[in-house]
Amino acid sequence: MTIFTLAIKYLRGRFVASTLTAVSIALGVSLVVASVLLARGIREGFIAGATDYNLVVGAKGSPTQLVLGVVFRMDLATPNIPYTVYEDLLRDPRVEAAVPIGVGDAYRGFRYVASNSAYFAAYPWRRKAFTLAAGRFFADNSPNEPSYEAVLGAEAARSTGLQIGDRFYEGEEMAEYPLAVVGILRPTGSADDRAIFFSLPSYWGMNEVARAMVVKPLTAVLVRPKRMSDLPSLHREINVTPDTQAVLPSGVLLTIFNMMAVAEDVLKMILVTVGVIVLLYVFVSMYSATIERRREIATMRALGARRASVLTIILAESAALATVGGLGGIVGGHVIAYLAGALLGSSGLVTNPLRFDVFEPAVLGGVIVLGTLAGLLPAVLAYRTEVAENLAPLS
Amino acid sequence: MSAQSAVVLHGVKKAFPLGGGRGLEVLDVAHLALAPGSCTVLRGRSGSGKTTLLNLIAGITAPSAGAIHVDDTDLFALPQARRDRFRAENVGYVFQTFNLLSALSAIENVVLAMMFAGTVPRRLQRRRAADLLARLGLSERLGHKPAQLSRGEQQRVAIARALANRPPLVLADEPCASLDARTASEVLEMFLAVCRQDQKTLLLVSHDAAAFGEAARVIDMAELNRTEARRKRT
Repeated sequence: MTIFTLAIKYLRGRFVASTLTAVSIALGVSLVVASVLLARGIREGFIAGATDYNLVVGAKGSPTQLVLGVVFRMDLATPNIPYTVYEDLLRDPRVEAAVPIGVGDAYRGFRYVASNSAYFAAYPWRRKAFTLAAGRFFADNSPNEPSYEAVLGAEAARSTGLQIGDRFYEGEEMAEYPLAVVGILRPTGSADDRAIFFSLPSYWGMNEVARAMVVKPLTAVLVRPKRMSDLPSLHREINVTPDTQAVLPSGVLLTIFNMMAVAEDVLKMILVTVGVIVLLYVFVSMYSATIERRREIATMRALGARRASVLTIILAESAALATVGGLGGIVGGHVIAYLAGALLGSSGLVTNPLRFDVFEPAVLGGVIVLGTLAGLLPAVLAYRTEVAENLAPLS
Repeated sequence: MSAQSAVVLHGVKKAFPLGGGRGLEVLDVAHLALAPGSCTVLRGRSGSGKTTLLNLIAGITAPSAGAIHVDDTDLFALPQARRDRFRAENVGYVFQTFNLLSALSAIENVVLAMMFAGTVPRRLQRRRAADLLARLGLSERLGHKPAQLSRGEQQRVAIARALANRPPLVLADEPCASLDARTASEVLEMFLAVCRQDQKTLLLVSHDAAAFGEAARVIDMAELNRTEARRKRT
């Protein structure tokens, strides 16, 4: 038997109290780990999902709503703009690439995104490339001949179970225009994994109002200028028009991160409060345990235990509780982040909560140090236990 | 100091502070010497200083004046850590209320004393504890926690723990006071037999001096403790 095994036996002797203390530490650590993982995951999700295009052109309104709706599919789509906006941009000599986007309803929560083959084009400046896991891309057909062919994002295909050749529609009113699956994309780690793509003619063909319109509607146009120096003039010119706006996605991302930073500051304060409460709980638990066994501590001293040995036993107990709670908290934090990530994923943001992060050993080390320190005062109390006084026979 | 004595007290006084610079003297022993291998019984009324005397000899409580030698070592000339170590190696202490550690089994309680002393190699500690418990009739109770043992069994575990480091001096503070008469007699018989076999110097506090036979030296606290004697006279 060693001092450490003695400490473990004492903890096991107070199983319920020890378990509750370790669980409280684990809950506190879980909250910290989950918060950090989710904040990091959300940031990385936004960055990974950000578009390679420099401008998003859409209807006048909230720039954030436009980017969230068109790029991340996290918000309601903004009002429509006429197809001629896209045609004008395509003709503009400053524009290298323009991609029309129509964001529609959804099938079982997976957003309909209409575009043309340019959306999947492998430009050299694109960070992500679209490749097919099965089938082919939909046909770029003429406005009067909608193909109703769909290409599914990887997660949309996995979750719906749809396969090549399957036909589907959402709502009885759409039964007349079922979409046929012709392709399934490989995962991209972005909101595109949760999208269902088809052609613009199919998009217009499925909507009664759009069918009747001479100038067809769009939700937005993604624009890449030939030169970055043209970006300010394009941005300015589009923004002075009465009906359209041009938004820099990077600017919106910055706005989102700034809003997140405010939320993170509030979260940090809450987490610090939780940490202090948990440390107080450890302190109270160890303090009451030490008070309860003053007689046993006095007995150990009478048997020859040095003051330093008694101090070490109490510190080892609090360190063991902090270690178990800390490890449990890290596991719990990943579980919470995974569950919360699944919820976020359903809203279009893909995170990777199971990835181990370098901050976690630091969290564990910090928890062990602070948990041990929480046991310091009870340990000093044990250190200073008056032996003869506490050995007196019980009345 | 006699080289023949296992324990020698000379001019030992103990007073507990009352505040305001005043103190309550509870013990004043001019001289006491215990021969090695002897059995001595202390008796006296409650509050006569019996437990205080044991705590002084164990080095648990410091005297207000005087010197205490155990096995030729001046206890209170040692720094505290060395005095703790000396106690672990040389003094076995049996408490009236057993004072077993509730989280540990019988054998672990005995091993505990060896762990603090460090005189028995770790690999031999459990075997030695098991042998001691077997000598005290507890070979079937090694893994039992104190709460699973009878009071008599608990006191036998406490005796095994006191003897674990083969201390030359064993102190016992009314070791059978909380046992019924029959169990007390059994436990005491075992205790004395083991101490005799191992030639321990035994100093006990007991109200029943007759139980220890004619071989035991009986000391009345009223005679040994001058404070108690003064109190009696007044």
